[in-house]
Amino acid sequence: MTFEEAQRELERIVQQLESGQADLDDAIKLWERGEELHRLCLEKLDSAQGRIEALKPTEPA
Amino acid sequence: MASMKVEAEQYGDRKVYSVAAFNRGVAGWLARLPTVWVEGEVTELRRQDRWQSVFFTLKDPGDGSCLPTSMPRGQFDALRLELGNGERVHVYGRPELFEARGELRLRALSIERFGLGDHLAALERLKQKLSAEGLFERGRPLPRFPRKVGLLTGNDAAAKRDVLTAITTRFPPAQVVVAETYVQGPRAAPALVTALQDLSAVAAVDVVVLARGGGSFEDLLPFSDERLVRAVASCPLPIVSAVGHEQDTPLTDLAADARASTPSLAARLVVPDADELRERLSQTRSRLHRAPLLLVERKRARLDGAYGRLRALSPRATLERGYSIVRDSGRIVRTGAELHEGTHVDVELGEGGFGAVVEETR
Repeated sequence: MTFEEAQRELERIVQQLESGQADLDDAIKLWERGEELHRLCLEKLDSAQGRIEALKPTEPA
Repeated sequence: MASMKVEAEQYGDRKVYSVAAFNRGVAGWLARLPTVWVEGEVTELRRQDRWQSVFFTLKDPGDGSCLPTSMPRGQFDALRLELGNGERVHVYGRPELFEARGELRLRALSIERFGLGDHLAALERLKQKLSAEGLFERGRPLPRFPRKVGLLTGNDAAAKRDVLTAITTRFPPAQVVVAETYVQGPRAAPALVTALQDLSAVAAVDVVVLARGGGSFEDLLPFSDERLVRAVASCPLPIVSAVGHEQDTPLTDLAADARASTPSLAARLVVPDADELRERLSQTRSRLHRAPLLLVERKRARLDGAYGRLRALSPRATLERGYSIVRDSGRIVRTGAELHEGTHVDVELGEGGFGAVVEETR
């Protein structure tokens, strides 16, 4: 799952919870999923080391 | 030139020419061709006072085709062009065979320097042509979270370092693939085309930044080269052109999907701001934390509301307001006529009740 996907799902869950549509049993599950997504996003931001690689050039024919 | 009889020896049924005769024959044919203008770049210019002619090679800046050229030294000097290698010229001349070596060359009668004005006019024509083909209409959205950023840049350190710094400062986890190549001179355009193709073929590269620092008009010419402009326009990935400064508009700028006049603007276009992401994430999390409590409160409020309405509708609430219910043998009494003197009735109050005997009816 990419950062973008995780972030989008997390925000959708928060909106769903805030709108009061979810029933209480679902709310717990949504909240747990939200926590998991938040952790995932943070990991993507913090633990992913930036990397710079050089592409070996092809000599023009 | 007088028509030339080229003698061949006869060996049986085979006609055989000497090298000299062959060259003379070809030279004669070439001499009939018209005098024309040829455009190219001066390379390998050789001039010596003791030589009768000045020699140079005219090179096609497009594909590197070469044409040896010569001009009588006196004529060359009289033009006072002070030509240097790499300069673009128009040469007026005709083809000639240097018979002693069997080499074709252009015999120059006149040379004109191809000036800035000519460059600009040629560029403008190319711009019109490519524009008419619809090559300048790209503006595809850039990915917000590219998996990898391709950076195509010169082996001059500054532009590369500036863009890399801007990208990694804004988004430290950025993955960048750097392709370095020539960005100046006649080799630049084909080298850039090849490098662009190589970069866009790298797995997970989602966007390409084409970066080159500022330079003179001539320095930036490869970025207006038709081959590169076409390669940019047909590249399957979105491209950000970060070439030169604000005032420069190489044609790659027009063919690219977005244009950045500084390295930090380029970075802003291709990677998200990590600090902003973190801030937004933390706000989202606070909302997530408040949400269940909010949800419970909301459910409770709804429950309370429903219960309140239920209560308001019940007879008990009416009794609490001071009304009472009178029953005669369990039946609710609604009119005085239902009763007569001496009837025993039950009276129910908001709290408790009592028995009573009717004294009179009305």
